[in-house]
Amino acid sequence: MNICGYYPESINEGDGLRAVIFLSGCRHRCSGCFNPETWNFNYGEPFTEHRQQEIINEMANNPLLDGMTLAGGDPFFSADEAADFIDKVRISLPNFSVWIYTGYMYEDIMAHMDSAEYRLLQKCQVVIDGPFIESLKNTSLPYRGSSNQRIIDIQANLRHDVATLL
Amino acid sequence: MVLMESRSYVSETEKMLREVSSLGHDISESLNVEMLRENANLNGESFSGKIGKFGSEYAKWYARYYILPEQLMAAVDHNDLYVHDLDQYAVGSTNCIFIPFDKLLSRGFSTGSGSVRPPQSISSAMALVAIIFQCQQNSQYGGVSGSKLDHDLAPYVAKSFAKHFHKGLHYFNESFLTEDQDITLGNLKLSSSHPSSYSFAMQETKTECLQAAESLIHNLNTMSSRAGGQIPFTSINYGTCTSPEGQMIIDSILSTTMNGLGSGETPVFPIQIFKCKRGVNQSPEDPNYVLFLKAIECSTKRLYPNFANLDAPFNLQYYDPTDPNTEFATMGCRTRVLADRHGRNHLSGKGNLSFNTINLVKLGIKHGVVNGSTIPNELGFYRDLHHFLDIALDGLLHRYNIQARQPAKASDFMMREGVWEGGELLAPEESVEECLKHGSLSIGFIGLAECMKAMYGRHHAESDDVYNKALSLIASMRRYCDEKSEEHDLNITLIATPAEGLSGKFTKKDREVFGSISGVTDRDYYTNSFHVPVYHNLPAARKIALEAPFHELCNAGAISYVELDGNVRSNQKAFLRIVQYALSQNISYFSINHPIDRCGTCHYEGIIGDTCPQCGTNEADVPMHRLRRVTGYLTGDYQTRFNAAKQAEVRDRVKHK
Repeated sequence: MNICGYYPESINEGDGLRAVIFLSGCRHRCSGCFNPETWNFNYGEPFTEHRQQEIINEMANNPLLDGMTLAGGDPFFSADEAADFIDKVRISLPNFSVWIYTGYMYEDIMAHMDSAEYRLLQKCQVVIDGPFIESLKNTSLPYRGSSNQRIIDIQANLRHDVATLL
Repeated sequence: MVLMESRSYVSETEKMLREVSSLGHDISESLNVEMLRENANLNGESFSGKIGKFGSEYAKWYARYYILPEQLMAAVDHNDLYVHDLDQYAVGSTNCIFIPFDKLLSRGFSTGSGSVRPPQSISSAMALVAIIFQCQQNSQYGGVSGSKLDHDLAPYVAKSFAKHFHKGLHYFNESFLTEDQDITLGNLKLSSSHPSSYSFAMQETKTECLQAAESLIHNLNTMSSRAGGQIPFTSINYGTCTSPEGQMIIDSILSTTMNGLGSGETPVFPIQIFKCKRGVNQSPEDPNYVLFLKAIECSTKRLYPNFANLDAPFNLQYYDPTDPNTEFATMGCRTRVLADRHGRNHLSGKGNLSFNTINLVKLGIKHGVVNGSTIPNELGFYRDLHHFLDIALDGLLHRYNIQARQPAKASDFMMREGVWEGGELLAPEESVEECLKHGSLSIGFIGLAECMKAMYGRHHAESDDVYNKALSLIASMRRYCDEKSEEHDLNITLIATPAEGLSGKFTKKDREVFGSISGVTDRDYYTNSFHVPVYHNLPAARKIALEAPFHELCNAGAISYVELDGNVRSNQKAFLRIVQYALSQNISYFSINHPIDRCGTCHYEGIIGDTCPQCGTNEADVPMHRLRRVTGYLTGDYQTRFNAAKQAEVRDRVKHK
């Protein structure tokens, strides 16, 4: 798995101050995507053990972070590796909240409970789902690019089986 | 010989004459844009701005040739020192003040052209606050601040409430026995004994208070009563008054600030400062916590309020919970005047008298590794530093002597009405010295980062060793101030200079002499005071931790900023967390900078790239207003009112995304 970006702290990809990691590779190919170069799975740098630990240490040493956001690309195309990384993060930061972006629909992932994608979703607190649709582009929406995208509280949904929007 | 002398005399006179005439020419023809834009809030290209410039540029010229001590003059000419507000030097005016609004309002006052009775309602009281700010700012040259406006105005909310309650009794035919009940907002018995009158009075008072706050904010943004269409540099501090009346004031000011001015735009004045105090407004169980959260919301929308830290030990030591006048508050620009060796350890009724700033960068260039030497010459550095500290101090004392011998009548409103504590006891011809000794004389500095870079090859955020050197340097300047305070029995203090006009002046001259040196003189500005350079990328928490210890050393005031990039309005959680972290680290005065763009067509406010997300207007067709902060003050459109150095600094700011 490659990463193609890392913000040590950001206010634009979820509530609170969050570290943001962009995982390379996406096959949704949304028209008007703001960074199509990240579709390529070989884009950026290999997310080595060393680099992972470096980022985890940095996050653990930042008293202001509320959590981490995985963006891309689309991390769900590297679901197993992304899930492993979250596990590793939680060793040092057990209560770290994880937000995740995907071009899939939440319901589609939920429909495949034995999939790697489902396991990844379960490890996260909030997902921002849905493809970017150029005709629905709205940059004034918090954390989203187009108005079809939703901010979903995953844990609340797992408990209640209803799509809860944040 | 005689001929030679007279010739050189003639050429000196000619030189002076040429200077005076080119001053006028430059101003009237708008030839020197940098000079006209020295102050971001002044429209130097307007008629009144130019008239003001004629006065101030000539006053500077006069001070240079006829008033300034020779050594000080030489240090200024050689770019070692800067004398702030040089145009005010010769006449002996003073810098800034905290206004005792409680006193002026409860006694009434005279403006000189007319007298005013004590107000009997919150709407009149807030109208008078604007008048008082306006009168006072003509008595001095710097900022005017209210250190506890919520406490000062609370009694007038009570008066309004009582008035409305009496009206209610009449309208609703509710009878009232005065003996057994206080007519106050907080008297809940009234709400059951006289429900209609109480709720009517409550509603009317809320409406009146909000309208009063609205007109205060509008007044403070529209009364261009200083030359150049300048509005007074006003600041208001609030947040700690826990009476229902005080809470209503705070709430109203925040609401009206969020609503914005006439077409919804962000008010530039007054600078607002929310005073943070544990047990009062910092935790969910504190009485004013809800107002603190509202202040956070307001700041994410309007850049104000900033946050003052009453719990920092060096502020807390003067805090008396029974006297709001001992609560740390600040001039918006950062000036702090809390302690007084002559006993007035409170805020209202005094201020800073003047300050001189040392160019640390030039000292670093002279003695540092930037010259090619492997070891910096610290001995030489400190010898020179003390030399210039002495000159800076001599200058302050020299200026103080001019200020102190002025008759009370010269500062007019300030002394006559007792805005400066004790001034009201002076006869018009009496000198103001006994009053002014309670004020502060401050030595400031600029460019610690570039100084360290020149001295050691790295600045203080790049190396722990250099950081310790930087801290020792500022500590030694503070020690100097403390020692000299003893020696002269005056309040001599160290300030983290708010360097607006100065940020580029020093740099430009130094670059002419030393050339462009990477990380030292290669930008158009020097980094403000002890700040980590805006172009240096580091986590917000790290910036806060690095800058915090300097706040305690700079007893005449300091501010730290964190830059956020993005729409912080939709992420108040991050904002709150950063503010409370800064407070926990004993940052004395804190604020977060973030972009506020405003569409020229539909007035949408938020983050705007090239096109407005609401109406699609393109910047190429209609200019966007991009509000930014400079020296603590907001300025409407940084691309036209900022000077070149400040524009460069804003462009270079590294933001936490």
